[in-house]
Amino acid sequence: MRLTDEQASRAPEAPPAPAAPDPHQNHLLDALPASDFERLAPHLEHFALDLGDVLYEPGVQMRYVYFPTTAIVSLLYVMEDGASAEIAIVGNEGILGISLFMGGESTPSRAVVQSAGYGYRMRAQLLKDEFGRFGPLMHLLLRYTQALITQMAQTAVCNRHHTVDQQLCRWLLLSLDRLACNELTMTQELIANMLGVRREGVTEAAGKLQDAGLVKYRRGKITVLDRPGLIKRSCECYAVVKKEFDRLLPYKAL
Amino acid sequence: MPTMGSRQPLVPVLPSTDARRARVVSVSQRTAMANRILASIPPEDSQRLSRELEPVALRFDQTLYEPGKAIKYVYFPIDCLVSLLTAVDRRRTLEVGMVGNEGMAGMPFILGVGVSGVRALVQGAGRALRMASVPFRIEFDRNPALQQALYRYTYALMAQISQTAACNRFHEADQRLARWLLMTSDRVGADDFALTQEFLAHMLGLRRVGVTEAASELKRRKLIDYTRGQLRILDRRGLKKVSCACYEIVNLVFARAQRH
Repeated sequence: MRLTDEQASRAPEAPPAPAAPDPHQNHLLDALPASDFERLAPHLEHFALDLGDVLYEPGVQMRYVYFPTTAIVSLLYVMEDGASAEIAIVGNEGILGISLFMGGESTPSRAVVQSAGYGYRMRAQLLKDEFGRFGPLMHLLLRYTQALITQMAQTAVCNRHHTVDQQLCRWLLLSLDRLACNELTMTQELIANMLGVRREGVTEAAGKLQDAGLVKYRRGKITVLDRPGLIKRSCECYAVVKKEFDRLLPYKAL
Repeated sequence: MPTMGSRQPLVPVLPSTDARRARVVSVSQRTAMANRILASIPPEDSQRLSRELEPVALRFDQTLYEPGKAIKYVYFPIDCLVSLLTAVDRRRTLEVGMVGNEGMAGMPFILGVGVSGVRALVQGAGRALRMASVPFRIEFDRNPALQQALYRYTYALMAQISQTAACNRFHEADQRLARWLLMTSDRVGADDFALTQEFLAHMLGLRRVGVTEAASELKRRKLIDYTRGQLRILDRRGLKKVSCACYEIVNLVFARAQRH
């Protein structure tokens, strides 16, 4: 669910705690026919996703899949020397764990909670079983996979051609599309890991956006003040990814 | 156009070891086994599949898919090489994946998406087996072995694209050029290629001057020879040393995906 620009300027600063947690808050689950949803619902466990939590590590067997509702998770690629960069972002539009039905028991990237919130988790085997039914969930998951691949490919070309602050803009915009408010709770270290820069690079990039009046950046919270301005500043990669997601996953507005 | 060298491609053609099976295998089935995905389909299924497969010769620089356009055919390379490219505009592009005889071009179709997100063009001329999208869809839906093989391949391709994303955040032009040359050479089975600097610039997301600099570095270290559009690898071991680790990592991912 995304707020309109007018709503965003009036939104509360703190991320809302889920008043009545509901798996429908994840768009993928919400898009399922009622009967499929009812079948899965008993197996969906409401789960807190805290800042910095590592949900998946490369090479480690996945036991659960996750459907975020109010959290944002980054898929990070970790290099041999420990440096990392984000490959893709996953929020309430998606699922963490698609590797499972692609025949991989583990993921090639690390999944880290980038903005704290909640989600639902389900045992990995159950998802595999559900996928094997060749029903609506399978089709949704495959289309979601294509959207994710497009995002990854766009991240690659963005990393090649665009600046760090453009990439920060892109990331903020994609995150906002996946949240109900205009504020993200993060740490400088997490942003640094996500952008693949050192902390000074984060201060610099965020500083530029703050100087331009686009965000307020203070004590681990980034509040977006001017979304249209952020779009102008961002590279075209944001629009490409958003367009692809909207096309492949035409969710109804919550 | 890459010339055929003496070295074997990374993914070798699987020989038919079962003599009895060899007698009933049709010509197109034998050819089909030259693609790793098709070779993993059991004989009963592959006979049906072979009827829909059409051998084609793909030319260098031929475009197979444009972003946003419908996928009319899927392609199983035999000895050609396909590049997958994204772009931010006409000038600034990047190759995000390579598809050789270990895979299939047209992957969105497996995911139920009839339109390509990337540009697919033929980097290494050669043969492929193509199948029209409607019969492919029908076959895919009824063929569990094909599904398994293609989902596994999708995983490997996603890992390759992820690797490229990270690579472009951290690695230098000469490292990336070295990696690209190794990957290409593995897949076409040759050490010699005809390559313009402009082509390399599109693949690596560099300006021409960046390509010149990177290539000069590799020439200076006597790892390649590159004159008048003809590039030859002189020292593979040396090239591996200059390449970023992404080369070996992608090899590992593909090797694992094929081992089942």
